[in-house]
Amino acid sequence: MTYFRELWASRELLLNLTMREITGRYKRTVLGQLWSLLNPLASMLVYTIVFGIIFRSDPGPGDPSGLDVFALWLLCGLLPFQFFQNAVNGGMGAIWANTALVKKVYFPRTNLVLAASFSAAFNWSIEMLILAAAVLVAGAFVLPFLPLVVVFMVLLVIMSTGIGLILAVVNVYFQDMQHIIGIALRLLMYLSPVVYPVSYVADRSANFGPIVGDITLLQIYELNPLERFISVFRQLLYDNRLPDMSDTLWCLAWTIVFAVVGILVFKANEKKLAEML
Amino acid sequence: MTEPAVVVDHVSKKFRLFKESNRSLKSVAMRGRSVHEDFWAVRDVSFTVPQGSTFGLIGRNGSGKSTLLKTLAKILYPDRGTISSTGRLAAMLEVGSGFHPELSGRENIYLNGSILGLSRKQISARLDEIIDFSEVGDFIDQPVKNYSSGMYVRLGFSIAITVRPDILVVDEVLAVGDSAFQRKSAKKFEELRDGGRTVILVTHSMANIRNMCDHVAWLDRGKLVRVGEAKPVSAEYEEFMRSQ
Repeated sequence: MTYFRELWASRELLLNLTMREITGRYKRTVLGQLWSLLNPLASMLVYTIVFGIIFRSDPGPGDPSGLDVFALWLLCGLLPFQFFQNAVNGGMGAIWANTALVKKVYFPRTNLVLAASFSAAFNWSIEMLILAAAVLVAGAFVLPFLPLVVVFMVLLVIMSTGIGLILAVVNVYFQDMQHIIGIALRLLMYLSPVVYPVSYVADRSANFGPIVGDITLLQIYELNPLERFISVFRQLLYDNRLPDMSDTLWCLAWTIVFAVVGILVFKANEKKLAEML
Repeated sequence: MTEPAVVVDHVSKKFRLFKESNRSLKSVAMRGRSVHEDFWAVRDVSFTVPQGSTFGLIGRNGSGKSTLLKTLAKILYPDRGTISSTGRLAAMLEVGSGFHPELSGRENIYLNGSILGLSRKQISARLDEIIDFSEVGDFIDQPVKNYSSGMYVRLGFSIAITVRPDILVVDEVLAVGDSAFQRKSAKKFEELRDGGRTVILVTHSMANIRNMCDHVAWLDRGKLVRVGEAKPVSAEYEEFMRSQ
């Protein structure tokens, strides 16, 4: 409990560190904060051309929204994924990147990881706002679903922060970790339904039949927490319907697991960080 | 005898020395079972720091005083023993660490102040005092990467000294800026002491010890040699250093 009390007492520090991340990054650029929007836009363009037009990935129209725009469908999954990627990468490197600070001043170190993940969340929120506007303009009645979108955004932020806390500690002990995770995150994007719909995997899985016992390929595929989150965001934003119950419960479960493990791992190692750096 | 500000109780701190210093997966895999030596940087040190005193840690290079100071600052944690303190403790082990080069001096004051535990309101109330003391003048709204190294450390020092904690832990940062600024800083430390605040500092300068400290602890090879009133202990220490 004293851990949380100390964290609460340093909330202004967290705010300042987050602001440092947000305003510091693009300070010297002409376009400034716009860069944080140009990145997802560029990815959208590339993936829409490659997977929407060349490979003809076809998720079908949103049900019941009737929306049928590949780029928008893509963004509903791409934006949460890229946030996850940024938050995990940022959180993982947070302690290492602030070596000078950690070795010279005492403050709750959790703040560094939180600041990395909150600054990514800040950028993501702007992206999602624009996406919601775009979906609205495209003719989907998304407004009633936005509160739930926010709820799931909060869950994903918590889960990503938990993973960031674990990796931040591991990265201090093994510097190899950031390179491993860099590759893993790239693989994870293709193991998540970002550029293709889940139905493609379901079809293959049904053709293939069970692998061991009753376990199907699809069930293993769906163990990926991001698969669940992306599905939920698509159901809310693109299809305009309430999220599947099992998807919701899985999102909640993964969030709790990673938040608890993240805090426990970080708390157990926090005191040794300055020495190991 | 006043109430102690800090109680150091049988504190020991060990470091592991690995043959291979980088911690990559390869070195972990190759290391096998614990090819390391334990090095005790601080061994079984106990003393109390009286409230309102200026307490000096002295000793040769490698005597463990900086390690002890870092454990006092809660950056390192003792392997054995405990350190307890009454009141808010702030450490100034390096000035200006935590500055973001692209942010302005003003923005960095808020950032650095909150790292040292001040609220936004407290910083705003002391903003003029900090800017004034640092002598950076119009540069305050420039990014700190454009600062001269003197301006950089002066600003860092001004923030840290304005935190006004109950206990201030300082590591040889007195030698910041030109001689005029050093005199100003020394006066600031006197103000702290006169305000009943406790200062713990590591310094190699015997002049600083004589001018500022009322108590000192002398460490050698991680062990406490002597602790007590500044005059007799530092005289004995100087005697010892001459004999080396």
